[in-house]
Amino acid sequence: MTGRARKRDREAGPSLAVWLALVPIVVLFGTAIAGAVRQSLDPGFGPGERPLGLGAWRELARDPTFGDALWFSLRTTLLATAISAVLALAASLALRHRGAAPRLLVSLPLPVPHLIVAVGAVLWLGPGGLVERAVGALPVDLVGDRAGAGVVLVYVVKEAPFLTVLLLAVLGRRLREREEVAATLGAGRWQRLRWVVLPAVAGPLALGSLVVAAFALGALEVPLAVGPNAPQTLAGYALQATQLDAFGGQATAAASLLVATALSLLLGLAALRLARSARA
Amino acid sequence: MPDGARALRRARDTAVVAAVALPLVTLVVQGVADEWRGPSLLPQRLGTRGFATAFDEGAGGALATSLAVALAATALALALGWPAARALGERRLRHPGLVLLVLGLPLLVPGYATGVGLTEWFVRLGLIDTLGGLVLAHLVVVLPYVVLALVGGFTPSLRQLEEQARTLGLTPARLLLLVTVPALRPALVTAVALGFLVSWGQYGLSLAVGLPTLPVVLLPYVRVDPEVAAALATLAIVPPLLALVATARLTRRPL
Repeated sequence: MTGRARKRDREAGPSLAVWLALVPIVVLFGTAIAGAVRQSLDPGFGPGERPLGLGAWRELARDPTFGDALWFSLRTTLLATAISAVLALAASLALRHRGAAPRLLVSLPLPVPHLIVAVGAVLWLGPGGLVERAVGALPVDLVGDRAGAGVVLVYVVKEAPFLTVLLLAVLGRRLREREEVAATLGAGRWQRLRWVVLPAVAGPLALGSLVVAAFALGALEVPLAVGPNAPQTLAGYALQATQLDAFGGQATAAASLLVATALSLLLGLAALRLARSARA
Repeated sequence: MPDGARALRRARDTAVVAAVALPLVTLVVQGVADEWRGPSLLPQRLGTRGFATAFDEGAGGALATSLAVALAATALALALGWPAARALGERRLRHPGLVLLVLGLPLLVPGYATGVGLTEWFVRLGLIDTLGGLVLAHLVVVLPYVVLALVGGFTPSLRQLEEQARTLGLTPARLLLLVTVPALRPALVTAVALGFLVSWGQYGLSLAVGLPTLPVVLLPYVRVDPEVAAALATLAIVPPLLALVATARLTRRPL
C-alpha cells in the first residue's frame, strides 16, 4: 500500500468502519446505563407529579441486607477470581509443553453455560446428592451455604479453564525462545519463571481475571441456583426488590445494580493499571 | 517409559476424562430418571417425565427463542463488527486503545444491570417481550466478543494477499469467498462460536428484557425438580458441545 493510501485510510476509512460497531454499543449500552440511573431516581407511584429523588439510594444505605449483599458479592467474587487465577497459572505452566488432547480437555468446560455447571453441582454436591450417597455426608454444605462455597466452586470450575486457555495462548513459542535465551545466560528454572514467564503472563492474567471478576460480581443465575437464600448477591438483592414490590422495587433494583456496575468498573481500572505496569 | 509410569499416566488421564465427562453423563441420566432415590447410585426407574414436563412448561418455545436470538445476534454482530475488527487488526486506527475500551465496557457491567436499564426504553419503543428487543439486548455483549475474536485474523499480510488477488482481477464477491474467508477461517469460526455461546448462556439480560429463553425456563427447577432441571440442562448443553466440536474441527484447535 502506498503512503498516501495509508494516510487516506487512517483519515477516512477506519472512522466509518469503527463507528459501525461503536454506534450500536454506545447507543444500546449508553441508554441502558442512562435508563438504570433514571430508574434509580424514580420516586415510584404516588399522588400528583413527583420529582426524581434519591429515595432508593437512601433506602440502600439504611438497609443492612444490602450491606450483607455487597460484602457477600465482593467476597465470593474475589475468592473465586483469586483461586481461578492461581489454578490457571499452575495448569498452564504444567500443560504448555503437552499436546492437543490435554488442551482440548481443559477447554471442555468453556462452552458449558454457568447455569448448567450449577445444575451439575446441585446434583453432585447438594443434600442427598451423588457425592453424599457415595462417600457419606460432606463436612461442609456446598449448596445453599451462607459462606457461598458452592457459588465460588461453580465459578472456579468455569473460570479456571477459561484463564488456563488464555494463558496457554500467551505461553507460546516466542516466550519459549526468550526462556532459552535466559537459560543460555545462566538463568535457572525459578529465575526464568520469575523474570521471564511471570512478567509475560501478568498482563493477560490481570485482564482475564477482570473479565472473570466482572462476571462473578453481577451474575444472577449461579447464586440463585447454588447460593444461600441469605445473604444474597447484589444482583439477587435487585431481583428480590422487584419481586417484593413490582413498582417501587425497580428503583431499589436499579440502584443496587449500579453499585455492582461501579465496583466492576473500579476493578477494571485496577486490572488495567496492573496490566500496564506489568508491560512496562 | 517404564510400565509403572505409563500405567500411572494412563490412570491420571482416565481420571481427568472421567472428571470432565461424568457431570455431563449425570445430567443426561438424571434427565431420564423417573425415580432416583438415595442412597442408590443408580436410578430405580427410567422414563421421560422430565422431558415431557419440560416441554409442557415451554421448553420447545424457549429452545427456539434461544437458538433464534443467539444466531441473529451473532450474525448482526459479525456484520457490524467485521469492518471495525479489520481496522483494528490492520492497525489503521489512531486510538485503538480507546476503541477497545468502549467495546469492552459492556463486558464489565452485569448483564442484569444492562437489561434492567434497557427495559426503561424498550417499553416505550414497544421492544419489550419481542424477539427483536432480545436480539438487540444480546448484541450489547455479543458484539465486543465477536470483534475481539476477529481482530487477530485481520493481519497486514491478509491485506497484502487481498491486494495481490485484486490485481489478478478478482471481483469483490470472489475475493471475499476465495481469499478473505478461507484466510480468516480460524478467527471467523472462533468469533461465531464465541458470539453464539455468549448469547446462549445469557440469563440476566434475557430475564430483564423478556421472552423466556432456555436458561430462564430452567432456573426455577434447579432445586425443586432435579429431573426437569436435568432434562432442560441436557437440551441446553447440546448446542455448546456441537459448537466446541465444530470449532475444534474447523480451526484444529479448541476455543
